[in-house]
Amino acid sequence: MFNFNPIATGIESDFMNEPVIDIEDLSKFYGKARGIDHINLDVHAGEIFGFIGPNGAGKSTTIRILMSLIFPTSGSAKIMGMDVIRQAKEIKRKVGYIPSDANAYQWMGVNEFLDYCLRFHRIQDGRKRVDELAKLFELDLTRKISDLSMGNKKKVSIIQSLLHNPGLLIMDEPTTGLDPLMQSVLFELLRTENRNGLTIFFSSHHLSEVQMLCKRVAIIKEGNIIRVEDIDTLRKKQLKKVFIELDEPVDIETFNISGAENLSLVPGNKISLLFSGNISDLIKALSGKRIKDLTIEEPSLEEIFMHYYKV
Amino acid sequence: MEMKRNSLSLFLWTLVITLLISVTMSIYPTFIENQSRIFGMLNLIPKGVLQFKGFSDLNDLLSPMGFYAANNVIYMMVLGSIYAIVLASGILLKEEYNKTAEYLLTRPITRSEIFLTKLAVVAGNVFLLNIITSLAGFIATGLAGNEIIRLRPFLIISIYTFLLNMFFAATGLFISTLIKRSRPVTTFSIGLVLILYFIYTLSKISESVSKLGYLSPFTYVDQKVVSPDYSLAPGNLAYFIGISFLLIAISYRLYLHRDIYV
Repeated sequence: MFNFNPIATGIESDFMNEPVIDIEDLSKFYGKARGIDHINLDVHAGEIFGFIGPNGAGKSTTIRILMSLIFPTSGSAKIMGMDVIRQAKEIKRKVGYIPSDANAYQWMGVNEFLDYCLRFHRIQDGRKRVDELAKLFELDLTRKISDLSMGNKKKVSIIQSLLHNPGLLIMDEPTTGLDPLMQSVLFELLRTENRNGLTIFFSSHHLSEVQMLCKRVAIIKEGNIIRVEDIDTLRKKQLKKVFIELDEPVDIETFNISGAENLSLVPGNKISLLFSGNISDLIKALSGKRIKDLTIEEPSLEEIFMHYYKV
Repeated sequence: MEMKRNSLSLFLWTLVITLLISVTMSIYPTFIENQSRIFGMLNLIPKGVLQFKGFSDLNDLLSPMGFYAANNVIYMMVLGSIYAIVLASGILLKEEYNKTAEYLLTRPITRSEIFLTKLAVVAGNVFLLNIITSLAGFIATGLAGNEIIRLRPFLIISIYTFLLNMFFAATGLFISTLIKRSRPVTTFSIGLVLILYFIYTLSKISESVSKLGYLSPFTYVDQKVVSPDYSLAPGNLAYFIGISFLLIAISYRLYLHRDIYV
C-alpha cells in the first residue's frame, strides 16, 4: 500500500554493511544521577528491534541522545553511519520519531501541523501520504489538535513520523492512548513498512507488544543493557513455569533446589514456581510426593523479564 | 509560523501601549491650561513617586515633547521591555514546557537555525511594537500640542526605546538558556524589569545610592540623556549594543549545547 524507496531513505549500499544504529560505550549522567551507563547496542538494517525496561531504566535517555535532544556524557552513537551530534540534521532527514508524549502545537489544526512537518522535509506531494495514513487511522484532519483525545493525538504523532518515508523509525511508547483496534492497525502498518525496508527501534515497557512485533530485544535495567536476545531465543530459554498440585500439604523446603525461583504457595496444596535448573532435579525432589497435577509451560515474557531483573 | 503564533500577543501589547500613550497625550491640553494648579498638586507628591512615573523635572512637562518623553518612559520603555523579556524568555522554553520540542528539534533543522529564527521573530516583534507605538506617539503628540513636532527627537527617543527593549529581549533569551529544566520564567522576567526600573528610580531620588543607577539600563535612556540635545550618546549606544550582543552570543552557545528536557 505504501511505496518505499530504500535509496530515498538513506538505506544505501554504503550503510548496508554497518548497523543502522550503532551505540558504543554511551553514558549520560545528570550531575551524579545515572541516566545510562556505558551501554553498547547495534540495530541492523531491516530489523524490528525492541527496547524494554521499566520506567527510569534509561530507555528515553537513550532515545533522546539518538535524536540529539540531549548530549551524552561520554561514548558515541551513530545512525546510518552518521554521528548523532555532528550530523544531526542529516540524520533527521532519514529518521522518523514518535515521542512518548504526543503534544503537537495545540493552536494548530491537524492538517496545518502535518503540512508544517512536510515543509521541513521539503516534500511537495505529501498530501497523498497524509490522506492515506489518516484514512488508515480514521483520523479527522479538519479538527484542531487541542480538541483531540490522547489517542487521536498519538495518531497524529504516528502519521507525522512516516510522512517523509524514513529509513529508520524510532518509537518511544507508541501505543500509549491507542485502543486495541488502532494498536493492531499500527502493528500491521509497521510490519508492512518493515517488509518494505524500514528499520524500527521500538521502546516499550509492554513486553507483549514487543513480543508481537520484534525480532530482537534489548533489556535495559538501571542504565545498563543486561541482555540483547532474539525474541525466540529468549522464549526458549531454560526458564520454565511450573504448577504443582499435591495430594498432601506442600513443604516448601522440598523445592529448595538449584534453579527454583518465585515460589508461590496457593491454597489447596498448590505451588507455582519458575525453574531454570535441571528438570531431573525437580522430578527427583518430587519423588515420593503424591502428585495430583503437574504442569510445565513456557513463561510469559513478563516473567522472563522479571527473571532477568533479578540477575 | 512563529510570527503568526505570537501575533495576538503583539497586537494586544501594541494596542494597550498605543491606547495609554494616546489617552495620556490627550490630557496634555488640559494639563497646560491648568498647569499652575497641577504643578501645585504635583509638588505635594513625594519626589520618588514622580520619578517613578517618569517626571524627573516638572518643567519638562510644559512642552509636548517633554510631556511625551516623560510618559514614554513608563509606557514604551517599561511596558515594552516587559513585553520583550517575556517574549524572549519564553520563545525557546515554551517548546520545552509545552513538549513540542520533541517535534521541532527532531526535524532536519539545526539548533543554530532554530535559535536564529526565534531571535529574528523576537527582534521583528519588538521592532513592530516600537514602530507602531512610536508612530502613534508621534501623531498623538502632534495633535495634543497642535504644532508640528520635530522628527529627530522622536527618532532618538524611539531608537533608545528599541535598544532598551532589545537589551531586555537579549536578557530574556539569556535567562531561558540558563534555566536547567523547562519551566515558565515569566514572573521572574517581569520582576527583573521592575526591579531594574526601581533601582534606577531609587538612584535618582537618593544621592547616597546614586551609583546604584549604573546597574540599571534605564539610567542610560534617562530623558536627561535624551533631552538636552536630542542626540545619541556613543557610550550609551555601545552599552546597549555591546551587552545585548554579548548576551545573545552566550545564549546561542548555551542553546547549541543545551539538554532539552520535555
